[in-house]
Amino acid sequence: MKSKNITLIILGIFFLLFPFIIKSEYYQHLVIIALMWVVIGSSWNLLAGYTGQVSFGHAIFFGVGAYTAGIFVTKLEISAWWGMLFGGFAAMLIALFVGWVCFRLRGPYFALATLAGSEIIRLVATNWESLTDGMVGILIIQSFRSKLPYYYIVLGLAAACIYAIHLLMKSKWGYYFVSIREDQDAAESLGINTTLYKNISLLISAFFAGSAGAFYMNYMAFIDPHVVFSLHYISIMAILVGIVGGVATIMGPAVGAFVMVGVQETFRSAFFGVAPRWISEAHALVFGLLVIFVIMFMANGIVGDWGKIKRVLLGTRPSA
Amino acid sequence: MKKLILVTVLLFSLGLLAGHGISFAEDTIKVGIVLPLTGDQAKFGEIEKLSFDMALEEINGKGGIKGKKIELVIEDDTGRPEVGRSVVEKLITKDKVVMIGGGYSSSVTYAVAGVCQQNQMPFLINTGAADKITEQKWDYIFRLNPPASKYSASVEELLAEVIKPKTVTILHENSLFGTSSAKSFEKSCEKAGYKVLLKQGYEAGGIDFKPVLTQVKQLNPDVVYMVSYVMDAALIMKQSKELKINPKMFIGGAAGFTLPEFQQNAGAASEKIISATLWHQVLPFPGAMDYYNKFKAKFNKETEYHGAEAYAAAYVIADVLNRTKSLKNEDIKKALSETDMMTAFGPVKFTNWDKMTNQNKASSYVVQWIDGKLEMVWPKNLAAKPFVFPVNWLKVWGY
Repeated sequence: MKSKNITLIILGIFFLLFPFIIKSEYYQHLVIIALMWVVIGSSWNLLAGYTGQVSFGHAIFFGVGAYTAGIFVTKLEISAWWGMLFGGFAAMLIALFVGWVCFRLRGPYFALATLAGSEIIRLVATNWESLTDGMVGILIIQSFRSKLPYYYIVLGLAAACIYAIHLLMKSKWGYYFVSIREDQDAAESLGINTTLYKNISLLISAFFAGSAGAFYMNYMAFIDPHVVFSLHYISIMAILVGIVGGVATIMGPAVGAFVMVGVQETFRSAFFGVAPRWISEAHALVFGLLVIFVIMFMANGIVGDWGKIKRVLLGTRPSA
Repeated sequence: MKKLILVTVLLFSLGLLAGHGISFAEDTIKVGIVLPLTGDQAKFGEIEKLSFDMALEEINGKGGIKGKKIELVIEDDTGRPEVGRSVVEKLITKDKVVMIGGGYSSSVTYAVAGVCQQNQMPFLINTGAADKITEQKWDYIFRLNPPASKYSASVEELLAEVIKPKTVTILHENSLFGTSSAKSFEKSCEKAGYKVLLKQGYEAGGIDFKPVLTQVKQLNPDVVYMVSYVMDAALIMKQSKELKINPKMFIGGAAGFTLPEFQQNAGAASEKIISATLWHQVLPFPGAMDYYNKFKAKFNKETEYHGAEAYAAAYVIADVLNRTKSLKNEDIKKALSETDMMTAFGPVKFTNWDKMTNQNKASSYVVQWIDGKLEMVWPKNLAAKPFVFPVNWLKVWGY
């Protein structure tokens, strides 16, 4: 327990000092994006990893959070930072509806329903031009030129998200969530109101995803329906972050976020400009191979299968 | 768990340090170029990149700028605004470029322009067309190509003088460029007294356009106007051919309809289609034909207006860097605003007009695919071949 605390303190100090160690705004930007993905991945993990409700539509909550912040600027003419406060709640409102519709379905049907839900909301955002400005998108001017404020805000959000999920999973609710994942009928027969707890899990998950969305609006300063309601780049990416890092582990999505953002940027920039250009064209392929590899050889993700990875890499024997 | 975290942190720090190790000698002037090199808009990015590279070779071959060579740092925006935003930040903060060029899709260009203006980084747009981009009073943003609402000006003339339609349907992809072009074309149609029977947006990258095309067939309009990128453009025409839609004319609103890949993919279905364009090699601009021939000889394929925009943009950049007092942002901005030159794309001069700031005035033209070749047919005094009209589509398609 103590050594774990020391690791956490080292990690905390590293992240707090990071912008002073690495001054390049480009790398600061990558870490900010990775931290944002920590929040989205963790929120997905709470619902899918711990509660067993695999969502293919996390873009719904992310996008609603982002649009809440954006519409605050374009329609109410107040700061997009208010979105950080209300984006999560707006996403929860939508989550209530999503839960009401989708939790009638289980397993793959739930996944398909969320997938359809995210496509529907993208089309609504595209066509409801009086509210969202459609494909013109929403462009604001960033409040800060420096990366520092954004870095610490998203670092705080990521830490809060991980800590909240950590506390939650140690509480009674956490056990309810896991019991629903393991066997919903058995949980029901033990007297757990499964519909209620599935919805609670969804609401908390939506809150964090929505807050991440609102942060995205403030930080990236431009959104349109294809960006924030993207199936490929948000919903699927959330799943990949969870799977690669480790489903149903607290730190899994955090590790997954850094790995995925790192891999994506490495390939997009063709190994930071060192490798020939055609490498970047293979980035989708490498993504696919990575996912296949993880699913085949480390089904529990980097964190979940850490013992296995150590064994293979270092040749050590399993400790337990 | 502990070790895992330590290893992650360590690897991460190493990665950062490695990235820092690479630096280049400062004997070049770095200019950032943002283009889609992967993703569904990659074909446009490719033709522009080849043209930029070709122009760069010529400029540096003639001695570069005051003894220094220009280095283009070309970054892939993958066609996504959020990536465009990140790469332009990278260009500004990591590569320390003196100005930015490129900008393909309207959405990406809009997002990139926002970043450039905030960072006071001069940005010369050569393709991103949505009107909105130069309507923000952003003084660091300059645009070589005309705004999207002017793309169809020449097509509208042709409609009024030759085709004389009564009814029109408009199909457009749901993107910033697609919706804004469609809206402005709809307005001009209403002004001219053509009835717009249908204005329908679709999702880019679709594979089945038949539901909407069946609707078009039932409405039987005189003109089908389409705003699409290249893959969709080819598919829409192929499926129109299968459904035997028979209007007086199919018209493309630039973008996908002028690329050689459109002709290759659509095959016979591309024949006799007309499209708005912003450039053609027969135009009487110095270097236009040279550029076309050189491109064809070098890369063994055709080029069109997107390539010409990029080629001309490279020359404008060289001209600006030659004239600027220093490589400071304000000086380059000043040099850009004083630009008054002739390029293979036509005259370039940035002025404020309508609601727009630093917007070049460029004309639009009409091209037609005749026997598999893109020929300029309008305006009449510049046309290389007569406009083929009326067209018996069923015969053209070999039914």
